[in-house]
Amino acid sequence: MATFALSEPVFLVLLSLAEQPRHGYSILKDVESMSSGRVLLSTGTLYGALERLLDHGWIERVEEDNTPRDRRTYRLTSRGRRNLQMEIDRMRQLTKVAALRMARKET
Amino acid sequence: MVLTVYGWLLYLYPESYRHEFGEEMTSVFCQARSELPPERAAKIRFYRREFCGLLSGALGAHLDRLLDPAIPFRRFSMQPQFRFPRSTLFLMLVILAAVVLTIAKASSIAGDTSGSVWPTFGFLLVFMLLTVCTAAAIVWGILHSLRRSGVHRLEKMESWMDSAESKGKP
Repeated sequence: MATFALSEPVFLVLLSLAEQPRHGYSILKDVESMSSGRVLLSTGTLYGALERLLDHGWIERVEEDNTPRDRRTYRLTSRGRRNLQMEIDRMRQLTKVAALRMARKET
Repeated sequence: MVLTVYGWLLYLYPESYRHEFGEEMTSVFCQARSELPPERAAKIRFYRREFCGLLSGALGAHLDRLLDPAIPFRRFSMQPQFRFPRSTLFLMLVILAAVVLTIAKASSIAGDTSGSVWPTFGFLLVFMLLTVCTAAAIVWGILHSLRRSGVHRLEKMESWMDSAESKGKP
């Protein structure tokens, strides 16, 4: 299991792309909707995360012929999906321990 | 007007970044701006978020290019043997202050009868901090030129991350 944690914006961006390929604005809106308006990404934060994810091969651009340069689509790679799954497992494990601890405290 | 300022701020990014994402970022910014609610407070929050995001993004992009980081996504739980607790830093500062105070007190007892320890304490503390910082900068410079600084060690740690990933493979 991975022993590193993703920042919340990066985690939400990956989660947004896990469902389907999306372009920048669609990711922005999806992250907002997934977090019930709590996480509002700026374009600087979004593209900073996308650049690093591209560099590390966690996401890739969908190459389409007629896509304008300002509306490119991104999708999760198999490496990105695997790492996202590892992060979800890590969080699941953490919440399990947290629930156990809280239950013990209450009794 | 706002779009012009946004365009100027994009110039804070490295050229390669601007070339790759500049148009896309401007387009997403325009889309987000067109859907803003009419309230003034919402607009102020949006512009503040965007411009702060641009500034911190530009700084991050430059740092990424300068340091070529092995840490992909900022938050990174290091292996326990590499941890340096923050409390240690605080303790070190307390110990440093105690040492400086003791030296100052000793010198005042030894012969300087001019008065309180405190006027010399500030000077000594600043002097020692400056000395420590200079020494640290020199050592870091040497280590960096020998490719043995923390940055280079972290680069080597990526292989550890990759091995963690490969263990996660089914």
